[in-house]
Amino acid sequence: MKASSCVIILFSIHFVLKAEKLLLENNISIDVIPVPRSISSDCGMAIKYSCEETEQVQDLLNRERINIARIYTCEEDGDFIQVNGG
Amino acid sequence: MKTNPSIYVDNGATSFPKPPAVQEAITTALNEVPLSPGRSAHRGSLDAARILFTARERIASLFNCGDSSRIVFTANVTESLNIGIMGLFPHFLGPGDHVITTPFEHNSVMRPLRYLEQTADLSISLLSLNDKGEVDASSLFPLLQENTRLIIVNHVSNVTGVVAPIEEIGAVKGKALFMVDAAQSAGVLPLDIEAMNIDFLAFTGHKALLGPTGTGGFYIKEGVDVKPLKRGGTGSRSEEEFQPGFSPDRYESGTPNTLGIAGLEAGVRFIMETGLETIYSHELKLSTKFLKGLIRIKGIRLFGPPADTQRTAVISLQVEGKSESQVALILDREYGIQVRAGLHCSPATHKAIGTFPQGTVRFSFGYFNNEDDVSRCLNALNDIAAR
Repeated sequence: MKASSCVIILFSIHFVLKAEKLLLENNISIDVIPVPRSISSDCGMAIKYSCEETEQVQDLLNRERINIARIYTCEEDGDFIQVNGG
Repeated sequence: MKTNPSIYVDNGATSFPKPPAVQEAITTALNEVPLSPGRSAHRGSLDAARILFTARERIASLFNCGDSSRIVFTANVTESLNIGIMGLFPHFLGPGDHVITTPFEHNSVMRPLRYLEQTADLSISLLSLNDKGEVDASSLFPLLQENTRLIIVNHVSNVTGVVAPIEEIGAVKGKALFMVDAAQSAGVLPLDIEAMNIDFLAFTGHKALLGPTGTGGFYIKEGVDVKPLKRGGTGSRSEEEFQPGFSPDRYESGTPNTLGIAGLEAGVRFIMETGLETIYSHELKLSTKFLKGLIRIKGIRLFGPPADTQRTAVISLQVEGKSESQVALILDREYGIQVRAGLHCSPATHKAIGTFPQGTVRFSFGYFNNEDDVSRCLNALNDIAAR
């Protein structure tokens, strides 16, 4: 079974790029994607990664003081379910 | 009589030439990247955002700032200083409050301060100078008052190249905010916001950081509440009609000068690859040769720190019997030497060194000048002084 994907929303493009750099340096596979319309009307970018790595992603971002706005799981039916923050 | 090629020794105004990498970065960005960063969700917008991000990270590293989100881009250091000063009014720096600054400030600090003095009853004290004509850090403590909210220090004078003891001032600043104008020092002298206890550091991109004009910025310490001067689109929190409160978005409304910042990033990269120590040593070698040569020319009056002291390669002088503008014109027309004469937007400094209102002739050497340039400047001044 394919591991499910998660999407992390940060506060601005600066933090998305900072997180991208940090996560790639720590060998976490990610993709920078447009924030899905159903999550937010914002025009920013978000980071998609495998949900198995949520704990490590949160730890790394916290350590570098990158504030997390929200984390969502990507459901099979195309929905997004918020799992933390707000 | 005219000799070629011309010599540019006005690096205190803007550095020239720029490293080839600066031109390459600007050309690549212009040709290959749509320059609206982080507004849209396509790869071009992301590439543009990466230009700003990379520049921010590099500048943060140059200033020993661990969090690059505290580096904000502006159009120039004047804008940075205006945000820093006017953005504190009136919630932090209110009517009747006290500011301490130095006798060597540029008008980009003095004009906002004098405006607040005139319109909001702000009081201003100046640090004293020691017998060598340097800002005396020990004069700070007796000036500190209960209502001293802000200390602003020009790190290096744009008139004389004298260096202010910012680390010592930062160590005894008390509860006041410490703001540093690094217009003439960033890219030549080490700046460490932690070791120097700096709350707000204003810099320009186009002088010793070797970027293009139209670039500058500031570092702002987390928790320091400086209001933005402009509000608008940031590409973040677009659902809200209120300005984001986090840096850098709080201060960066509107499409930025992505093209210029691409060049600035390349300039800072060049500095870090070359090494500040190498750049400073080269400039010191040039200023020392120039100063030692000037002493042997009759009729030259020198201002500022002597050779072999800590200073930047900005040297002010007068030629006996000739006006400053006359000397600058002869240098340019007959010798191809480009300098700046007059008051250098810093009447306060010229009053402090006794050259107001006539001003001085200012030579400012940069990393791309060489010893032959210095010799040609000395020969030209030797001729002019003998006329």
